[in-house]
Amino acid sequence: MKKSLLVAIGLLLTLGFAPAGNAADEIEVALLYPLTGPLAEAGGRIKAVYDVAQDVINNSYDIQGIPFSKTQGIPNKGNAKIKLSYYDTQGSPEVGKAETERILQEGKAKLIIGAYQSSVSKPTSFVTERNKFPFLCAVSSSAALTERGMKYFFRVAPTDFHDARMFFNFLEDMREDGRDVKRIAMVYEKTEFGIHAMKEVKKRIDGSGGVYELVAEVPYEYKATDVNAEALKVKAAKPDVIIHASLFSEMMLFAKAYKNLGVTTNANLSFCGGYQNPKFASGLGDTVEGYMGSCTFAADFIEKKAQLKTINDMYKAKTGMNLDGISMEAFTTLFVAADAFNRAKDLSPEAVRDALAATELEIATMPGKGVKFAENGQNIWIASTMSQIKNTEYKVVWPEEWATTPVTWGLRP
Amino acid sequence: MQSAKQFTSIFGGVLVLFLVAPLIIRDTQFQHLMIMLLLFTTLSQAWNLIGGFAGQVSLGHAMFFGIGAYAAMAPLNQWGLTPWIGMAIGGLVAMVAAVIVGYPVFRLKGHYFVISTFAVAEVVRELFSNWDWVDGPIGLDAPLVEQGWRNFMFYHTKLPYHYTLLIFFAVVMFVAFRMERSRMGYYFRAIKQRPEAAQAMGVNITLFKQYAFIISAFFTAICGSMYGLYVLHIEPSTVLSLDISIKIVLIAVLGGIGSLWGPLLGATILISLQEYSRIWLGGTGRGIDLIVLGALIVIICVYEPNGIVGLIKRFSRKKRKA
Repeated sequence: MKKSLLVAIGLLLTLGFAPAGNAADEIEVALLYPLTGPLAEAGGRIKAVYDVAQDVINNSYDIQGIPFSKTQGIPNKGNAKIKLSYYDTQGSPEVGKAETERILQEGKAKLIIGAYQSSVSKPTSFVTERNKFPFLCAVSSSAALTERGMKYFFRVAPTDFHDARMFFNFLEDMREDGRDVKRIAMVYEKTEFGIHAMKEVKKRIDGSGGVYELVAEVPYEYKATDVNAEALKVKAAKPDVIIHASLFSEMMLFAKAYKNLGVTTNANLSFCGGYQNPKFASGLGDTVEGYMGSCTFAADFIEKKAQLKTINDMYKAKTGMNLDGISMEAFTTLFVAADAFNRAKDLSPEAVRDALAATELEIATMPGKGVKFAENGQNIWIASTMSQIKNTEYKVVWPEEWATTPVTWGLRP
Repeated sequence: MQSAKQFTSIFGGVLVLFLVAPLIIRDTQFQHLMIMLLLFTTLSQAWNLIGGFAGQVSLGHAMFFGIGAYAAMAPLNQWGLTPWIGMAIGGLVAMVAAVIVGYPVFRLKGHYFVISTFAVAEVVRELFSNWDWVDGPIGLDAPLVEQGWRNFMFYHTKLPYHYTLLIFFAVVMFVAFRMERSRMGYYFRAIKQRPEAAQAMGVNITLFKQYAFIISAFFTAICGSMYGLYVLHIEPSTVLSLDISIKIVLIAVLGGIGSLWGPLLGATILISLQEYSRIWLGGTGRGIDLIVLGALIVIICVYEPNGIVGLIKRFSRKKRKA
């Protein structure tokens, strides 16, 4: 019996710990992102941009077109400061779910913002929905996320639907200019993100009445370490346009493989993901010259909206990089949270949820008017633009209203 | 080998601990930890039956785990069928899969056997990734159904998951204990230590390896079902991944391969370290938790290859000599 008692005490001592406390004049927001694991790099950049957004909200910067930048804190809540708490999903749905439960159990956060991957946003938002707690999704792009009839889930970023629509509008413009865009190859990772992106592209090709043709459908494993076979498939199909739904490391592998294998095409378009990581352009130089992709922010937006330079400089000081689309979506998301806190009658989950549902936030950070959620929680004021890598920098090339430079057509390794 | 009396008293203590701990400590994270601990101890003990007792190191147990997870989730998702039936189907399918896989792979020995189990598991993962009915690589989500025992979904408490897993844990521990001292257990040890000698003595080694594999597969599949229903989202890259297979083996190696208490000790250290280091350090974004975990595993493996059970034995021997 002594032994059993010792085993019991030993296990309890090993396991029984609990974490700690919070101040009253702060509004805590829990941020759920992959801070370690294969997506740690993306998570680190997102963390940096949230820190910048927190700084702008909590202190006075007076940036034109950016609400809460003049004031300090949340005006209607006694100028309470935003406090950010980070939780690491490690890019895993299981860990994401456990961390979400921890946030809810700690009971300090008034809102959860997350997660990076759609496959993590899904189970984590299930947990919040079941617990009637608001979840604000910044960057996950799978259209399916806002098709689940949830009441507590809201998303700021455009979805694969918006990106695919923009791609085909762009291709239509190119076609009218007499450029070859008929033969399309679709390359995608076998994840929630990749599959939905592929379905959106396929839907548009099928509905084009033969204007477009899918000449290669090339799925690959998430976290792939060798994509030469897939790149060869693309090469063999001789596409006019290659469309990618890939995250950073795989996008790098594909770009190198295309160069090594001498893959030529007219345009290489990317859904949001690896293409938008500034290291993709700076790290691969000539290899990715001319690649294009959807973007909600590029540094040359500053030419159109000069006030964004302050934010870009603050971010650059932390990361050494310019803001990209994903970072800007995350930045905007914290302002959506601030706006909801400001309007909410109190900070209960129900009141914050109601305030989010009534959001009509005009903010000059991205193309489009700002943020307004449809009944399904999707932001309907968002728009995407097409950027292109030119001399290792992202330049907006389409639509005309946002373009700072013309499209360079054709990729020749 | 431990006497029945010793086993009963320690096992009793452990069961009492697991029975009362979640009632005393109401912290959700702690309860989550206990659930993960029970799940991975049970899984690792199930693996121990083939890997530890019979000495056949399988790196493909994720395939049984995944089969169990999908068997519970897919019928619930598609037809609203209670996951208890799915769980039973999963266990049976895993047993059949063990027979089909076991027949060719048990003709291989040593490294070749290890590699073949890993390869078969990868094939199964690829099959699920390309199977539209289970949404391929996207995986399945638990539907928003009424909570309760019928659907085995509980939205505001973790206790039902905990106690159900505790029952499975007790069953698997009891099976392992009985097996260790049964004729079959002696055959397993003979197969592990001197397969040629065992065969010369008339033991049908392929048949007994197959028995161990089938029993192990059944329990692994049940754990897979429980995992899916607890996490609410499964996809091939999580429930059929090499990571799961490695984790199961790692726990047994850390605790003490082939020992009755090794999986519990290994899981207690590995899972609690993993969970609490993530809670305390994960948000720093520097991966310190993973570094600490890796270092600890390396130290234990180098210092005492027989795991924590080996350390305890060494310590108690020294104490007796003194």
